[in-house]
Amino acid sequence: MEAKRENGSILQFAPFQSSVDEGFWHRLSSLKLNKFRIDDSPIPITGFYAPCSHSQVSNHLTLVAESLPADEDEQSSVPAIASGNRNRCSVPGILYNTNTLEDFRALDKKSLLKQEAKKIWEDIQSGRAMEDSALLSRFLVISFADLKKWSFHYWFAFPALVLDPPATVVELKAASQWFTLDEAESVSKACNEWRSSNSTAGVPFFLVSIASDSRASIRHLKDWEACQGDGQKLLFGFYDPCHLPSNPGWPLRNLLALICSRWNLKSVDLFCYRESRGFADLGLSLVGKVLLHGSTRDHKDLPNAVGWELNKDRAVPRSITLAKSMDPTRLAISAA
Amino acid sequence: MVLKQKLHDAFKGTVERITSPRTVSAFKEKGVLSVSEFILAGDNLVSKCPTWSWESGEPSKRKPYLPADKQFLITRNVPCLRRAASIEEDYIASGGEVLLDNDDDENDAWVATHGTPKETKAGEEDNVPSMEALEISRKGPIQSIPSYFGDPEEDDIPDMADYDDPDNLIEADPATLQTTYLVANEPDDDNILRTRTYDVSITYDKYYQTPRVWLTGYDESRMLLQPELVLEDVSQDHARKTVTIEDHPHLPGKHASVHPCKHGAVMKKIIDVLMSRGVEPEVDKYLFLFLKFMASVIPTIEYDYTMDFDMGSSSS
Repeated sequence: MEAKRENGSILQFAPFQSSVDEGFWHRLSSLKLNKFRIDDSPIPITGFYAPCSHSQVSNHLTLVAESLPADEDEQSSVPAIASGNRNRCSVPGILYNTNTLEDFRALDKKSLLKQEAKKIWEDIQSGRAMEDSALLSRFLVISFADLKKWSFHYWFAFPALVLDPPATVVELKAASQWFTLDEAESVSKACNEWRSSNSTAGVPFFLVSIASDSRASIRHLKDWEACQGDGQKLLFGFYDPCHLPSNPGWPLRNLLALICSRWNLKSVDLFCYRESRGFADLGLSLVGKVLLHGSTRDHKDLPNAVGWELNKDRAVPRSITLAKSMDPTRLAISAA
Repeated sequence: MVLKQKLHDAFKGTVERITSPRTVSAFKEKGVLSVSEFILAGDNLVSKCPTWSWESGEPSKRKPYLPADKQFLITRNVPCLRRAASIEEDYIASGGEVLLDNDDDENDAWVATHGTPKETKAGEEDNVPSMEALEISRKGPIQSIPSYFGDPEEDDIPDMADYDDPDNLIEADPATLQTTYLVANEPDDDNILRTRTYDVSITYDKYYQTPRVWLTGYDESRMLLQPELVLEDVSQDHARKTVTIEDHPHLPGKHASVHPCKHGAVMKKIIDVLMSRGVEPEVDKYLFLFLKFMASVIPTIEYDYTMDFDMGSSSS
């Protein structure tokens, strides 16, 4: 899991991983049969993630039934997605569900990824991503729901804007080793407050500002200018779904793109925020100093983007068959 | 057996429909919870252990006697690094109690080992074999049959895995960490493949008036596990008896569940032991006790139930 030696100190990001609840496929099937029918226009969906909360497993971008719009007959009774659920930070996504397997295979995956990357890039350029940092992460799913066999073929992409040349690491270690004891205590406290407030629990990118008296406060990205010139330590923080002690997770990539593009910084301190048992864990969290090598004039055009998810190291879609819980014939037999 | 279960389900469903939910507290007398006590205990769990959240589940399955936004509790992506089935031998060999068999003395034995209040905990905990110290049995490796895809009955599904990416989608990107699909590096280093994750949910069972635990398992690449495979992560005393595979009351699909028929009785015993030691159990702590009790059934699923505070107001 170490960065490859020949790459020296290139900062490497652990890819996001997807997870789909059975409930998502059930609602998609119902919507497809009752509402969308043969309409295969893209559907806006919402994915959820949370900071890593265990030293041995990473968190995932999860789709649940509520990721999809409500079924029409249920619409009145469905509450809006609970805001402030700290275990469900929303990530905007889009679903291309095709009518046939041929259509699924024929989708122009490169251009779909590019379209989503363009949205992120435009939100960075317009400043929207600073106001609403959840826009820095997006995802895309292509799928084919075979409702005759109750099987689903799907493929996730997590578009990440590529820095060219890539960022390099000067230092990356456990946050507890980087902060002084006083700072660590204050950072933990500030993070726990941020995570337990309904208005900020779902804000996945932020600034950590540490005053000369070691007192830390968490600020919104848009406050970056206001934080300048105070002589404090300023770190760029994000909810890190990754558990590895050697690498930050995927969402950091678009934050770095924002930092390059908006502020043209050459050296930044990062805070990869992780939890255990639902509270800040600075032993698990990482702090790193990285160097950014882009020049200002590179920051006008849409950068290249990567992010199609691998399936056990291969570039193939995933499939799941839910006939056991969805096929009316089988359900009837098992109920007889 | 199946028919018997179905008859019982039908009976239970009818009783649930015609009886009103419990409103008077019988927490200390019977070890059961009223609906409002369940909400109270759930709110306390969510605030002390924030990896747990309330969810509303499928709108069509909503229970009218529970608030729409507090239908059940869930904690997702809980690691399970070892199969309970494979550590069982070592557990018994190391002198572990046979857990919760019947309504006999063994309940007390269980209570004595696991339900000790804080002040005597340190001494008695030495008797509990530490899960950390247990070696995974190398004998009889558990077959990890991956999830739902590749169902042999579905031969005619085009195998998407054979369809290799023609678009050369995955570009060489030096900033992408390559080894994300964690494979074993050495022949006997298969801990990574053992790493499953679980979504653990707690529902309110109106018939038994107790919480009920449900398990949804995922393999190492976060693909859904067949519920039968979940039984590998259940203590073998319970795997075929108290843990059954049923429809989840708020989510689609079949899930493994710890049957609640003995929950009230066991909780009553735990409460009695606490009271005999001068601790007055508080009903909002019910789920912490309950989850500690559940840990004997699913010992390797590492969900959170912090216990580092008093179980109740101590009268002594």
